[in-house]
Amino acid sequence: MDTNIAFYVIPVISLVFALILVPIFRRLAILLSLVDKPNARKVHTNAVPLIGGIVVVFAAGLALLFTVDFWGNVKENYSLIFGSLILLIVGVVDDKIDVRASFKFIIQIALAYFVFDSGIRIDSMYGVFGIYELPILIQYGLTMVVIVGVVNAFNLMDGIDGLAAGLAIVGLSAFTYVAFLTGNSFLIILYLALIGALIGFLRFNLFSKKKIFMGDAGSLVLGYVLVVSGIVLIQSAQPTENITLALAVVVGVLVLPVADSLRVYRKRIKTGYSPFRADKTHLHHLALYLGIKHKWASFLIIMFSIIIVSISVFFGSVFSMTYTILALLLIFLIFSTILGINREINIWREKIKKLEDF
Amino acid sequence: MGKKKKDRKTRLAIIGTVGLPAKYGGFETLTEHLVKNLDREYDITVYCSSKKYEKSKREKYYLNARLKYLPFDANGMQSIFYDSLSIIKSLFYADVLLVLGVAGSWLLPFVKKFTNKKIIISIDGIEWKRAKWNFLAKIYLFWAENMAVRYSHIDISDNESIQDYTAMRYGSLSRIIEYGGDHTLKVKPNQKDKLEFTFLSRPYAFKVCRIEPENNVHEVLEAFSRLPKYLLVIVGNWNNSEYGAEIRKKYEVFANIILLDPIYNQRKLDLLRGNAFIYIHGHSAGGTNPSLVEAMYLGLPIVAYGVSYNKTTTENKAFYFKDNNDLKLLIENSTVAELKAMGNEMESIALRRYSWPIIAEKYKGLVEESLTMKSKHSILSKTNQIDSQKLIDMDLGHLKHQQSFFEKR
Repeated sequence: MDTNIAFYVIPVISLVFALILVPIFRRLAILLSLVDKPNARKVHTNAVPLIGGIVVVFAAGLALLFTVDFWGNVKENYSLIFGSLILLIVGVVDDKIDVRASFKFIIQIALAYFVFDSGIRIDSMYGVFGIYELPILIQYGLTMVVIVGVVNAFNLMDGIDGLAAGLAIVGLSAFTYVAFLTGNSFLIILYLALIGALIGFLRFNLFSKKKIFMGDAGSLVLGYVLVVSGIVLIQSAQPTENITLALAVVVGVLVLPVADSLRVYRKRIKTGYSPFRADKTHLHHLALYLGIKHKWASFLIIMFSIIIVSISVFFGSVFSMTYTILALLLIFLIFSTILGINREINIWREKIKKLEDF
Repeated sequence: MGKKKKDRKTRLAIIGTVGLPAKYGGFETLTEHLVKNLDREYDITVYCSSKKYEKSKREKYYLNARLKYLPFDANGMQSIFYDSLSIIKSLFYADVLLVLGVAGSWLLPFVKKFTNKKIIISIDGIEWKRAKWNFLAKIYLFWAENMAVRYSHIDISDNESIQDYTAMRYGSLSRIIEYGGDHTLKVKPNQKDKLEFTFLSRPYAFKVCRIEPENNVHEVLEAFSRLPKYLLVIVGNWNNSEYGAEIRKKYEVFANIILLDPIYNQRKLDLLRGNAFIYIHGHSAGGTNPSLVEAMYLGLPIVAYGVSYNKTTTENKAFYFKDNNDLKLLIENSTVAELKAMGNEMESIALRRYSWPIIAEKYKGLVEESLTMKSKHSILSKTNQIDSQKLIDMDLGHLKHQQSFFEKR
């Protein structure tokens, strides 16, 4: 296919593939009992097939096979493609039999090393906090920490209907724009294919009685694609005037999941627990205390993400990236604090009811 | 420093009221009586809102208390600026800050850390829970209350149930000080009154309050609409809200229900409540309500909404209702002798607990105590701060489950 036409056609093709694949994988999932059973932390009540990730990767992947831009660039992007497939497999296995967290962690670290080794790395701070070019050891450490951190952070955002997919669509759309500017046609079709497939997924996740979930397979892969290709975008924009925009977009997209995971880890450590202990204190859990439906809680957080990205781009173009990052963190802090206090209010209102003895 | 203090009176700043002379709510009446009772012992300054006192009516002194005017409203959003500015100004001279309400308490961590001023704060019920506040106001009030209790030397609750709440949430031992009722006048109706309010010659139930769902006006009206033989008089701001207008329209058609607009003349209001046969108190918001205390002082038999706040205020000796059915049954089934006896009981409670000299004496005690205090002690046991698992490892898991006073009441 011709490149320009491909841009329009590919999301449609992957969307169609997703719509076709869901019923097929659904049946398979029920046969293999690849389903999410309700427990105390889960917000749903029936066993739901965990096939969103597989469907999205397969639908987008099949659509990509038809494009020239894919076949022409496979070699340069092998770490992105290979890593996604590995994480998909790990994710599916995890969805099925709950592998140990340490095992997942080792896989992620190995993949991060693999990515670094392939030349995709954070080699400079681009003036953030007054730091530019980094020594190789720091490049190595920072790249690993960022990749593993974002993949896990994105994994944690997958808690209520539509949230991880919606955030991914926002992020991928913003990234598509940057890829246009830097002329990276491989990333453009990759993003567009994923967006189409995610829309197909949302159709079942949000609006169908035969509901499906993303699963760890989906959230791990999406997090991986976002962070690795985000680094690629920054690297490819480096010599051009697009670097500021690329930085602002990537930071704006990734800051929400990362800041929220750091907030949750900090809170758990402060109360004397392991930072990886599962609980109900993520941003989406807090948002549900507003008394709104899951869909609307997702919508609220996705809107917040869009605002964060917009502010990042606007601030980034006016002030330095250092101030932009500080401003974004402050905005996140205010937003999460308000939601957190609202949660406390709800909890205390219940306790007081007993006190009022009524 | 110590010597200097002996030479002069302790300087007390009262912050967070609309001002003096009192025309408005409970805190203003409280301030007025604190000044009346304590102005010879302490050098008192009261902050007043110039928005509520016209220039010609502003005084430099009220009795021996100095009045200072600030250009903000003392209630609503502006109270944050009003209280904050009052606190900052008081730092230049006062020894003890008596802060009524939590709006300015974001400053207290700084005051406590960088000055040796003593802070006594009254949190005024569970303000963040009240229906009248919007989402962000509730968020702020919830947080501000936390600051207020944690960074004051002494915190005051006006009700036992509020004390339980602050103990549960903050591990703080709040001091309970209620309000006085003895400023209320016992007015005998004269000929003119009887002409103005013809119902004075009949027995009637009486209620005065803000017309808000929180005060259960709709439940009271519904009950009496089904009690045609019993006369009900309610005074309130009916035209302030949709809720008020709606229930007024619905219930004013009943012959036994008289709905009056707000009465600002103190004698008239006291005339109407003082001569009522029974007082209905529908407040559900947290704390001791001044209007309930006042009704008790008038010796009225009281039927109150059955939340713990009202029960502790009336020492569980009044009648309590949960909904209009309850209220209807209570009214139908109580005898005159029973009600008279209960009214007397209420009056004796009020005389014992709710008189201003007693209340002022309690405040005086707190001011004296605060001067000797360095910081607040938590009433929670130290084991509370230890991780459960660690205690279990030491075979001391039971220490996590010690009971506090509020669990045993």
